[in-house]
Amino acid sequence: MSDSSVGPLAWVNGSDAPEKSVINLGFMALSDCASVVVAATQGFAQPYGLTINLKRQASWATLRDKLVSGELDVAHSLYGLIYAVHLGIGGVAPSDMAVLMGLNQNGQSLNLSHGLQQLGVTSPEALDRQAHQTRAKLTFAQTFPTGTHAMWLYYWLASQGIHPLQDVDSVVVPPPQMVAHLQAGRIDGFCVGEPWAASAVQQDLGFTLATSQSIWPDHPEKVLGCTRVFVEQYPNTARALVMAILEASRFIEQNPENRRSTAQLLSAPEYLDAPLPCIEPRFLGDYADGLGNRWQDPHALRFHGNGEVNLPYLSDGMWFMTQFRRWGLLREDPDYLAVARQVQQLDIYREAATAVGVAAWGKEMRSSQLLDGKVWDGSDPAGYARSFKLHALSDSTALLARR
Amino acid sequence: MLRILLINDTAKKVGRLKAALTEAGFEVIDESGLTIDLPARVETVRPDVILIDTESPSRDVMEQVVLVSRDQPRPIVMFTDEHDPGVMRQAIKSGVSAYIVEGIHAQRLQPILDVAMARFESDQALRAQLLARDQQLAERKRIELAKGLLMKMKDCNEEEAYTLMRRQAMSRQQKLIQVAEQIIAMSELLG
Repeated sequence: MSDSSVGPLAWVNGSDAPEKSVINLGFMALSDCASVVVAATQGFAQPYGLTINLKRQASWATLRDKLVSGELDVAHSLYGLIYAVHLGIGGVAPSDMAVLMGLNQNGQSLNLSHGLQQLGVTSPEALDRQAHQTRAKLTFAQTFPTGTHAMWLYYWLASQGIHPLQDVDSVVVPPPQMVAHLQAGRIDGFCVGEPWAASAVQQDLGFTLATSQSIWPDHPEKVLGCTRVFVEQYPNTARALVMAILEASRFIEQNPENRRSTAQLLSAPEYLDAPLPCIEPRFLGDYADGLGNRWQDPHALRFHGNGEVNLPYLSDGMWFMTQFRRWGLLREDPDYLAVARQVQQLDIYREAATAVGVAAWGKEMRSSQLLDGKVWDGSDPAGYARSFKLHALSDSTALLARR
Repeated sequence: MLRILLINDTAKKVGRLKAALTEAGFEVIDESGLTIDLPARVETVRPDVILIDTESPSRDVMEQVVLVSRDQPRPIVMFTDEHDPGVMRQAIKSGVSAYIVEGIHAQRLQPILDVAMARFESDQALRAQLLARDQQLAERKRIELAKGLLMKMKDCNEEEAYTLMRRQAMSRQQKLIQVAEQIIAMSELLG
């Protein structure tokens, strides 16, 4: 449909009108959907000739299917979900996918039950003892087998010497049901996005043992995802969308008042449908773990950070592939860099960022140190995937079945 | 004979669907237990086909079932376009998601999906509501007008006016256009 002969810079010369002006944007009811909700409802898209219709989804699987089938144009997506579809891991046949921009960093939590707290399991060391010495396996919930929460949970457990696929049971539980399952003792802990972890702490039904930012400060989390076909057919629409959401992200972080009113907006029935006290504190970086500790988190949920959050680094995308490989979800090494280059839409992002005055660094990789001391900079993905003491490489994939 | 596991965890009424499928000669097991037990139930019941409301949160649990079963003798896969694009599109439209044991022919599934699609309540009212909520591009002009009025009233610049309007909208859980309309109405009143 698009006229590729026009070339990538045609928009600079005036033919930049969106090819598709009404966009269906899927999202899940999580605090980190803020920038897309603000962009859609607070007039950030109209100046670019776009109307964004928000479509709340009940599951990641359905969000994915609708994205692939075209019922949704773009979506607030788990980083790993986009790569799983692209690589053909999971329920659907492989489909070429695209990451237009990062939507947020940080802000997910690993909580343990009140029951474990009463047994004195309130530290990583105590959990390690409990996981290895008790006969009954502990059960941990995450939200989607190839999602970010599964990866944070596995990474954290493994960094403490607990094999996430052997030493404990790993199950999927939809986020709104986490607290109830924790209360009923059906799970011993979970890794989930807000407001669900804060909600468990609020109701005194569990405590936060670790935040995702304690695993990887300023880690990638949700992205604006779509199919490759969408980007190819509607490049101007894709760019305009990134521009609108970049401006909304910048607006949210402009001052604490904007952040607070964003939290207020999110608590509405059509978005998170959750009480403000479960959303606002952690949204402002004010953490309480349920064990009596309270702190202002320097790496709390953030949406912009002058664009640091939004640049779709190749190394961020590659990291999820290294973890899929590590845990046996990928049977062999993909061409990590080539796949990341196909998926991460750096050019569109840079054009959009420049147009709205957001720094669009030339960098494609970033270097980070994770809590186990390992440094990830994107330079040797295959080696990195193989470098972990605890893993499920090669034939051990059947271990996923142990439940 | 195909054994069907019918997951019943949303407001959609599967009672009639179960009756219709049973009448059509299928063995139907109605599953209304806890989502978290779904993988274990699938293992025990060993269904050939699993039907679930597309809008059920348990679809993410089924995703785990698909991944876990991929190395087992009876891998469970999602019924997709690959099997039969026509049937698949119809199914998505009527809100049914189907999982099958790999190897089952699409034709054998057709009568099941026909019944399911006919019996699942299609939420027409909800669809209409969603359409009504779709925004109009004309909103932009109204927002511009309100911004101009506010700049005059508050003697502020454009960015300040936008910020004031947005903060007001978000704190009241409204869209910017709603606040814009309120400003316009108020300004007409005070004329």
